[in-house]
Amino acid sequence: MARGENIDVSRRDVVKMAGASGLVGLSGVAGSASAQENPPIGNFPIQGNPTFGFTVPQSGPYSSEGQDELRAYRLAVEHLNNGGGWVDNWSDLTGNGVLGNQVEFVSGDTATDADTARQTARRMIQRDRAIMLSGGSSSAVAIAIQELCQREKVQYMCCLTHSNDTTGKSCVRYSFREMFNAYMSAQALVPPVTQEYGNDNNFYQLYADYTWGQTVQSSMSRFFGEAGWSELNSVATPLGTKDFSSYLSQVPRDRTDVLFLNHYGLDGANSLSQARDMGLDQDMEIIVPLYNRPMAQAAGGAIEGVFGTVAWDSQIDNPPSNQFTSAFNEKYSRVPSGPAQLAYAQTLQYAAAVERAGTFYPPEVIRQLEGYNYNNIGMGEETMRACDHQAQRAVPVVKGLPEGEQQQGQFFEIVNVTPRSKLGYACDEGPAGECELGPYE
Amino acid sequence: MSVLAEVVTVALNGLQQGAIYVLVAIGLSIILGTLKFVNFAHGALYLIGTYAGLLITLEINVTDGKLADWGYTPIGLEWGFLPALVIVPSVVFAVGLLMERFVARPFYDRPDTDQILLTFGLAIVVQEVFKILFGGQSYNFARPGWASGQVDLPIVGTFPEWRLYIIGITAAVVVLVYGLIEYTDFGLVVRAGTRDAEMVELLGIKLSRPYLMVFGVGAALAGVAGVVGGPLYAVNPNIGTEILVPSFLVVVIGGVGSITGAVLGGILIGETLAILVAVAPQWSQVGIYVLAAIVLLARPQGLLGVEEVTP
Repeated sequence: MARGENIDVSRRDVVKMAGASGLVGLSGVAGSASAQENPPIGNFPIQGNPTFGFTVPQSGPYSSEGQDELRAYRLAVEHLNNGGGWVDNWSDLTGNGVLGNQVEFVSGDTATDADTARQTARRMIQRDRAIMLSGGSSSAVAIAIQELCQREKVQYMCCLTHSNDTTGKSCVRYSFREMFNAYMSAQALVPPVTQEYGNDNNFYQLYADYTWGQTVQSSMSRFFGEAGWSELNSVATPLGTKDFSSYLSQVPRDRTDVLFLNHYGLDGANSLSQARDMGLDQDMEIIVPLYNRPMAQAAGGAIEGVFGTVAWDSQIDNPPSNQFTSAFNEKYSRVPSGPAQLAYAQTLQYAAAVERAGTFYPPEVIRQLEGYNYNNIGMGEETMRACDHQAQRAVPVVKGLPEGEQQQGQFFEIVNVTPRSKLGYACDEGPAGECELGPYE
Repeated sequence: MSVLAEVVTVALNGLQQGAIYVLVAIGLSIILGTLKFVNFAHGALYLIGTYAGLLITLEINVTDGKLADWGYTPIGLEWGFLPALVIVPSVVFAVGLLMERFVARPFYDRPDTDQILLTFGLAIVVQEVFKILFGGQSYNFARPGWASGQVDLPIVGTFPEWRLYIIGITAAVVVLVYGLIEYTDFGLVVRAGTRDAEMVELLGIKLSRPYLMVFGVGAALAGVAGVVGGPLYAVNPNIGTEILVPSFLVVVIGGVGSITGAVLGGILIGETLAILVAVAPQWSQVGIYVLAAIVLLARPQGLLGVEEVTP
């Protein structure tokens, strides 16, 4: 029955394609071949070479992260087309483009703002006819783009987005996330932090007032609460706040044992430096739940001894990590950051899924990624879970180095790479319990 | 924390946050008041001041942008903060003179919209040039060693030392500029020009030189603000644009052309921010615009602004 339907669809499409090719002239051979098997959807079938769209923040509080992502995206496209880096040892990739087509890309600024990001993404989908989008950071941006992508039936490979909602209540079929979320950060932080600071502490939180900060705040409350800590207060700060001194002076110095600064990017660098300026670190411990390299660089010596988690770090010593670090270093003479590794990994993951599917037809590519097991991006054994499109993976916990020990590209010591067996949640609980992926077509 | 301690802490925080706005706004205000020139590139002067301060004060490692491409990765003179406080304003003063002569002067008789377009474009150009040279990344501008700790204040308790210096430096600069405008011949001409430029010219005083000086002084103040404010926040090419809007609000609230108005406006905005953060954080950003709207409705010329003599 199902087979019969398939044949029926394909026959109709052959006729359709014949008419279409008369109008548009000669399109890519691979495009027409796969179109004969699959109905047009979103920007499929591709016309000419496949175009990837990279939506990164080039201005706003997360612009430093965006620049490093863009470098990695360029590198990924270069390797996909000409070989090099991971492409050389990924069995699914050839180094001669994707499905024999040279990959092209467009990039655009999200300005760390959901509305701007949506416009950028829409332009890439409609004008540039991108077959896949990828980018970050800011979870508000990622969620806005993935909603658009679901509507337009264009695949989105999230880069830097850490909110629980991305693969929780806002999850969509067309989006996948390699990055872990706030829930897993909290799970990863509890053991080393409670071991270091004890089991009976009062904590106070400042958090960025949008989806990401809110879910970090609630995850820290939950898991540190379960570990026996008591929360004194949580205060929301607007995204893009520069001067946190008024917020910081509200923190009760005599009663607070640990201060969580749930800020990221430039905001995180500013709030952490200002907390140090005010001498808060002399009265309490400070934790920054999610860190990265550009942010540590902007905060300078203020990160000393401060716990946090990172997406990935060049010090993680295994063949894929080292290979990526050396390829990136060779091209740009700099050590790659965690967001760069995510960007590179997500682009190659998508390309490999297309190769396995043998077509750019999105529902087929999505099925190739759902439930896919891999061990080739430097974070150990991973599964891209089918129920919520969230990678189940290890989370590195780090501690900031003193200014004197910081070198180019090295700002943290790795305290622990918490294995995935100690993290995560089942498909019917936590953020996944709220996820409904939506249709393939 | 006792109520008194909380009130005093909030007041001090407000004063400190307002101080940087005051430094930027005074220059903006005297240029707008005297020359009738809307300078949207004033934030760019702050940006130049901050980067110049960074380079004179510290050695920084550039990993992005053209400078890194050309092999100039560690740059900076490491001369310390006090030299920067003298050199930076002089450099930005010179930039201001050039700007008056080649950018502002040809546009004095053009409508405000032309001036806004021109200076806004110029601000974007400066920002992009810095982005090309230094990359878009943020740099850590360390506080001077002699003011990097905290002081124990009565009632308030621990307070960052550098923030007290900011209040002090701002107060000194304000007194200096106030003296210059109120008690010198130069100031007399400037003030007269602010009220009625045509009349001053009729009296045989050529206004082009005082105008040049006013622009230079205004620019130098933005330079001072850049050096003093640099260590408060991470430094990147967007800081000029970010400081411009609150500084314009200060001018609007205080009254165009009035130095005391700029001080009052700056303190009001700083205090509004600090108080709202303490009582209703989610309204802190909206609050300063509401304040500006209320002032404009009640006193369109600003709190201490004077109504102009219209020909």
